[in-house]
Amino acid sequence: MSAAIETHELSKRYRRVSALTECTVTVPQGRVCALVGPNGAGKTTLLRMLAGLARPTGGTATVLDGVPRQDPAFLAEIGFLAQEIPLYRRLSAEDHIRIGAHMNPRWDGALARTQLKELRIPLGQRVGTLSGGQRAQVALALTLAKRPRLLLLDEPVAALDPLARRNFLATLTAAVADAGGGLTVVLSSHLITDLQRVCDHLILLAASRVQLFGDIAALLARHKVQGKHVTLEELVLAYMGADEAPAGRHLTTVGEDS
Amino acid sequence: MTWLVWRQYRAQAAIASVLLAAAAAVILADGLQIASRWHAMLVSCAGNSACLQQQSPLVNGVVSDLPYISLIVPVVLGMLWGAPLVAHELESRTTDFAWAQSVTRTRWLTVKAGWLLLAATACGGVIAALTTWWSGPVNAQSASAFAPGQFDTQGIVPVGYAVFAMALGIAAGTVARRTLPAIAVALGGFIALRLVIADVLRQHYMAAVTTYYNVTGSYTPRGQAWVLAQGAVSSTGVTVSRGFGDLVPALPASCLRLLPAPAAGKNGSMNAVFSCMQAHGWRGFVTYQPAGRYWPFQGIETGIYVLLAAALIAITFAVVRRRDA
Repeated sequence: MSAAIETHELSKRYRRVSALTECTVTVPQGRVCALVGPNGAGKTTLLRMLAGLARPTGGTATVLDGVPRQDPAFLAEIGFLAQEIPLYRRLSAEDHIRIGAHMNPRWDGALARTQLKELRIPLGQRVGTLSGGQRAQVALALTLAKRPRLLLLDEPVAALDPLARRNFLATLTAAVADAGGGLTVVLSSHLITDLQRVCDHLILLAASRVQLFGDIAALLARHKVQGKHVTLEELVLAYMGADEAPAGRHLTTVGEDS
Repeated sequence: MTWLVWRQYRAQAAIASVLLAAAAAVILADGLQIASRWHAMLVSCAGNSACLQQQSPLVNGVVSDLPYISLIVPVVLGMLWGAPLVAHELESRTTDFAWAQSVTRTRWLTVKAGWLLLAATACGGVIAALTTWWSGPVNAQSASAFAPGQFDTQGIVPVGYAVFAMALGIAAGTVARRTLPAIAVALGGFIALRLVIADVLRQHYMAAVTTYYNVTGSYTPRGQAWVLAQGAVSSTGVTVSRGFGDLVPALPASCLRLLPAPAAGKNGSMNAVFSCMQAHGWRGFVTYQPAGRYWPFQGIETGIYVLLAAALIAITFAVVRRRDA
């Protein structure tokens, strides 16, 4: 099976600032990939380039066997949810579901309605008056109703309380299970305990570069410290320090098991 | 896509329709009154044009400014609908929602901008039709449909203004990415361009006609012509068109002596001066755009605004397609 995402030295420069430098990663199909890194590491830039919303200044990206581009067929495959949970605040969830029906070829409005009803989110109320957690659920339901093959979520749970976060991730996990391997997810977040629960793949960015990527189980196995397993959080923290110290120095000094 | 536009704008469309209907009611009520007074004048003067011009003006005061609504409506639409079209979506990040659907940005912009330009055309057309009808008797009484102020508020030019103002608002919002500056640009840009075109460019759409006549007589171009300048010109080419201030230093000394004493006031006659001027080779002249050019001028001016609008829309598309979201 080919990879859902394959990038080769993908780069993005904004004038003199490099937002992403020579990013080469692979995410196999059907995976739920955690995208972690400090603020400004390039997570949003990477996601937006994969979604076809921003153009690379170098390298290539292959997403679902195509180049991210402005093309209805490509856009239909991608579910993108931006950090700010963008919705029309004066329109209701129902309005959004109907807008989606007019803007997408295979739209599952019934799925979105059922999902939101189960969560007791009022469909007819202006989304601007909903709580942050409810808004995030509405946005996720809309993204899933598109029936995408790749879901790109940019810190969707950052602003949510623990309960709303759990609900959000439960919806996400259920959607992945329902898709039976047909849905790949990339989810950026700072909350590693959350990610540990739902993700099986990892991309770690720091200082605009990839520090680590691959299957989480394999990565953890590779980084045993004196025969003992490290947690995902320890692993991530060790590599996140990359902008101050050489990548993975913490763990290497303790003794990387390779 | 169209449904999204309808859902986003239906409330505003309803408000705009109500306001437009109210304006139409006022214009209609006032216009009917003017028309009936004009009719009475026609009857009492029995078609004598001199008699008609001696009647008191059909409109004065605030009422005579009523046709300016056909300039105000376009610019207000450009500010309130055009400027936020892209800018507000960028500000509230809803472009991240719209552009993440299975619709290209080009199509998204085509549908949104298309409907709003259509709405601007419709509003401009309705308001222009009303002011044109309202102005009919006023034009006839003062023979001035072609004059600045009247030309701008009647016929088809308000439609061109409406399309341009909308396009300017959309383009400004797209480039500035913020609604407030875009509103300012839409207002300022519209006023500035209108001033330049109305005051400087319009009179040159076609070469003006100059007619010379006997300086002791007079000449009025036929119909509702647009008189650009009128006065006297000497055999050596000295032109006088602004009254005594200009006339006195230009006059030959022999004619200067014939000027009536200031004390004579209105009773003093200029006839002797004019005869003297004619003897020295002076001629009267009037430079004007003939009445028959009214519609060609309307067409040219509308065309200029529509072309500028097209250029602005092209810029908007280029920016929306190229820029990273």
